Amino acid sequence: MKKNMQKIEPYIWILPSIILMFVFILIPIVFVFRMALSKVTRAGLIKGYAGFENFTKVLSTPTFAMVLKNTLIWTVAVVGLSTLLGFILALLLNNEFKGRKIARAIVVFPWATTLVVQASIWKFIIDVDYGTLNTLLMKLGIIDHAVNWTASPGAWFAWEIACGIFVTIPFVTFTVLSGLQSIDGTYYEAATVDGANYWQKLFRITIPLVSSSLTVSTVLNIIYVFNSFPIIWNMTKGDPGNRTDTLVTYLYKLAFYNGKQGLAAAVSVIGFLILLACAMVYMVATLRKGDE
Amino acid sequence: MKKFIALSLSMVAALSLAACGGGSTSDSGDKDEGGESSGKTEISAVVAQYGQNTADWWKGFEEDFEKDNQDIDLNVEVVSWNDIGQKVTTLISNNQAPDILNIDVFADYQADDLLLPAEDYVSEETYGKMYDAFLEQSDIDGTIWAIPDLASVRTMFYNKQILVDAGVEVPTTWDELTEACKKIKEKFPDVYPWGIDMTTDEGQAAFSYYVWNNGGDFTDADGNWTLNSAENVEAIEYAIGLVNDGYTNTDPANDTRYDLQDNFGTGKIAMLIAPNSLPTYIAENGNEVDYGIAPIPSNTGTSVAQGVMDRFMCFDNDYSDEELAAITTFFDYFYEDARYSEWVEMEGFLPATTTGGEALAAKDEAMAEWIDIVGSCKFYPTAKAEWADVKQGVINAEQNALLGESVQDQLDSLQSEIAP
Repeated sequence: MKKNMQKIEPYIWILPSIILMFVFILIPIVFVFRMALSKVTRAGLIKGYAGFENFTKVLSTPTFAMVLKNTLIWTVAVVGLSTLLGFILALLLNNEFKGRKIARAIVVFPWATTLVVQASIWKFIIDVDYGTLNTLLMKLGIIDHAVNWTASPGAWFAWEIACGIFVTIPFVTFTVLSGLQSIDGTYYEAATVDGANYWQKLFRITIPLVSSSLTVSTVLNIIYVFNSFPIIWNMTKGDPGNRTDTLVTYLYKLAFYNGKQGLAAAVSVIGFLILLACAMVYMVATLRKGDE
Repeated sequence: MKKFIALSLSMVAALSLAACGGGSTSDSGDKDEGGESSGKTEISAVVAQYGQNTADWWKGFEEDFEKDNQDIDLNVEVVSWNDIGQKVTTLISNNQAPDILNIDVFADYQADDLLLPAEDYVSEETYGKMYDAFLEQSDIDGTIWAIPDLASVRTMFYNKQILVDAGVEVPTTWDELTEACKKIKEKFPDVYPWGIDMTTDEGQAAFSYYVWNNGGDFTDADGNWTLNSAENVEAIEYAIGLVNDGYTNTDPANDTRYDLQDNFGTGKIAMLIAPNSLPTYIAENGNEVDYGIAPIPSNTGTSVAQGVMDRFMCFDNDYSDEELAAITTFFDYFYEDARYSEWVEMEGFLPATTTGGEALAAKDEAMAEWIDIVGSCKFYPTAKAEWADVKQGVINAEQNALLGESVQDQLDSLQSEIAP
């Protein structure tokens, strides 16, 4: 009896989270797939099976290709640059220096603020009419009249990426920092004795030993960033003319501005499949590397 | 084993995407089912939040209504404009449509046979109060499917001081407008002479301002879409020209009407087209500006003001006689003259009923002018099923034109998409 109980116990403990995942993750996914394969009226009623009609419709528009390209640029740029910068910041913060604790606390700020607030603040800073960036530069005498920092869709998108990087860095920094702190100092001592320079230590000791932390932060970031809605929505709503849309903002507009929920669900499924593929390739590759 | 872990980890990771992407479809509604419990007849209403006073006003309404109608249990939910469309769609997909809905559009719900004809649930007396021109806006195949709750009118506002200092008369034609912009720009390089909003928020309004004042329209007299008519193309080219000449705010695809209104309030924008509630908005935001009101400059000699009208509608939820009677009581109560005037005045809107109009006009002379305009203004073709596509389509066309693409090509392709 006691033995049986021991066997069952773990399952009882994880049951609540399984129920939660089922209700809040699996059921919605089933709904999305069903909607993607259905004829959906503007008012939101499902009127029969549509096969792959929603998918072919979405894929045949030139807008979708542009939005997909934006999504890839957005994800690669934000994840890539924030991983690089966050890693460097972690190396700096791992050194002993006065005020290190305060510096570490400050790094958390961007992460601890809601994305909506972050995006609104960035939008305010770069505003051409009353933005603080223009005011500051004019006060310092660097420019003599207000500069339009967002004169083109490309400029808007670059600012959005910058904001995305800014809010993503802390997560990378702290994941890497926890990895760095677990490295045994004797490795470095031994390397120093053998005459290794800074770069050799970085590439031969530090990076291999924090690579598992980096893997975790990168995979999670790909998912978060690919999925990120608030920054783009608050700064440009994907405008002008879908030039700054990513899949998530695009499908939101399709569903709730254009009343095409079937198409929006199809975009959602496509995004899901892309992310699934990325995550699979990445995880399999890194774990296989670990086997060698 | 590791492969398995990798696969399952990536599955879980990716699953969380789909959960976010499509979460909207699975929100569970929290509406009470219409029905009778504790002996009272329950009716539910989802209403739009017009401004900061709306929620309080409805709370008071609910209390008064239940006090005067002891056998009815009314549940009012106030939802912001940003979310209300999404909210209602979600409720409908979960078979939880509210009994009464206050929103701007109705044709999509009517197309799915979800609505009751207005005369089924509005008493003859209340129905008789509505302006006919407003009721006609909710006419599909000879049946009225919704009733107007309020209206607002868009016309031109200008900063008196800036116009005087620049030596400019109030423009009435497009040529005068261009000339006025030029003079204001020369005199005040930091002021935007003219405000334009071509955002996803409300870019369709800009379309109507220019198109209607150039003799164009969304449709012809028979209701066929005429989006790429020569008048429409010319009108949008004119508006884009004002932007390209530097006479407007710098980023019309991103500057919403609220950005423009704020800039007008601070004297940064000299002239713009805005709703009659603009003075209330400026005062509430702590700004002060000496403004004048004039008809929208026109290229045809006749200025067309734009009317915006919102509605009440009633979903067909298989009502019992008691429930239907309760809904009728709700509308009689809402449109009672004193209460209705209070509702309209609350956020600075205009009445949609003749009795309300008379009452307000008698009280306030400035209001009387607006009420005159409201009788003659033009509305969006919201009764047409393609309206949602047209609305997004013209916004997209404007934004692409701002990026340098041809207005003619943009409107041609929109027309062929909407009316192939």
